[in-house]
Amino acid sequence: MTRFAIAALLALSVAGNAVAQLLDFSAAELRAILRHGPWPAPWSPDPSNRVSGNPEAIAFGEHLFFEPRLSPSGKVLCATCHAPFRGWQDARARAFGLAEADRNTQSLFNVRYNRWFGWDGAGDSLWAQSIRPILDAREMGGSQAAAAALVRGDPELACRYRKAFGEPPPAADEAVFAGIGKALAAFQETIVSGRSPFDDFRDALSRNDFSSMEKYPEAAQRGLRIFVGRGNCSACHFGPGFTNGEFHDTGVPFFVRGGVDPGRHGGLKKLQANAFNLLGAHNDDRSGTSAVKTRQVALEHRNFGEFKVPSLRSVAQTAPYMHNGSLATLADVVRHYSEINPDRLHSDGESLLRPLRLSAGEAADLAAFLESLTESSSALPPRRPDSSCR
Amino acid sequence: MLACGAFAGIAPACELPPGTRVESQRLALSYQTVPGKIAVGEQFVLEFSACAKEGTAFSGRVTLDAHMPAHRHGMNYRPSVKPVGEGRFRSEGWLFHMPGRWEFIFDLGGERLTHSVRIE
Repeated sequence: MTRFAIAALLALSVAGNAVAQLLDFSAAELRAILRHGPWPAPWSPDPSNRVSGNPEAIAFGEHLFFEPRLSPSGKVLCATCHAPFRGWQDARARAFGLAEADRNTQSLFNVRYNRWFGWDGAGDSLWAQSIRPILDAREMGGSQAAAAALVRGDPELACRYRKAFGEPPPAADEAVFAGIGKALAAFQETIVSGRSPFDDFRDALSRNDFSSMEKYPEAAQRGLRIFVGRGNCSACHFGPGFTNGEFHDTGVPFFVRGGVDPGRHGGLKKLQANAFNLLGAHNDDRSGTSAVKTRQVALEHRNFGEFKVPSLRSVAQTAPYMHNGSLATLADVVRHYSEINPDRLHSDGESLLRPLRLSAGEAADLAAFLESLTESSSALPPRRPDSSCR
Repeated sequence: MLACGAFAGIAPACELPPGTRVESQRLALSYQTVPGKIAVGEQFVLEFSACAKEGTAFSGRVTLDAHMPAHRHGMNYRPSVKPVGEGRFRSEGWLFHMPGRWEFIFDLGGERLTHSVRIE
């Protein structure tokens, strides 16, 4: 669609209804906008997880997600920090399981599309990432042996394991623990955010449906123009998921109690040392393709202080923001990028982030656009009744 | 950046398979990606064949890299490179994580060949 064609529609209105003026998006802007959809994006099961997409594994994983006994305290479950009614996070600045951690809890929305997991990308699969909190002393404080013994010894859990994997829980703790992670991953793969007002606008643009386009507020349109234009936000918040899945230093302080958070640099070291990474024995992908990223990812000095580019889908449901939860609102996030100090970035000469110097109105527009990325209604099916396993 | 110290034998006539052809003063190469269209944030494989223009056998170190000149950064991955015979190479682990202009850099025995692509 050309700028001319869009401009010709500016005066369109529907009598009696409040309609927005349509901005005269350029051809380049339209291309950039269309890249952010359609939603939901295509997805295929994870080849590294043999029960990915398996309904029995999804049910087992959902059961485990709400299982407090995975923590020896009996008081912390996955859903403690990833609360479904809070956008699958906890609304706290920093996670709190058995004690306060150093980082913000990331939402589980759309986690199935990720290449790396966690703010530092220490996980290269959703299943490996899912068992990490069970072991963390500040989160669930458990152990491989205790979790495996729980699944082997509890008739309900053992039955669910057998139905998901087609065999009883094995004797080796590590194998059962990997299975727990794979079932948890199968469940989390179902957590997909619903369509947003932006998606309706984007799809209306793609099919020249002008009456639908006009339902999208002008402030959000102006914010969208900044997002794909001079803000250059879509360089990193790319594609239907609004993330390129990689890591950047965005000038957020990384000092924590007792030291610094090394971010991606530390994450890559943890990845290399993790027996559950995709180069290990628990990867079910015999083709080896899924492990290429783990084998070839580069550990560089510039990774220090880099953190994952989060998805912006349903972002209004997932405050507070940034890896340390230091920004309370979307307006604060916009202000951060508007006033960012390039001297604070450990960019090794990279030239990407510059202060946007937005006016108050522009900042409000960009925040309005971000708000419009939040689902209009949930795409998730209601939770299944938790009937016993036979 | 990645490097391979393998020796690659070259066909005398310097005939290259179909692909994107890149030349320097002494060398020529032809490369293709798998899949053919590079998508932002998606891994791809690079396959290429190289030879000396005069048809003499090429030997030496192969180093491959890519960067975004406008952003002054490279990739977050160091792809592998493996000789697969007759001057052909296969390289895995490529991923361009931003849209825009990327430049492939082929260093063949110290001779630098570059090619720019625009990724949408």
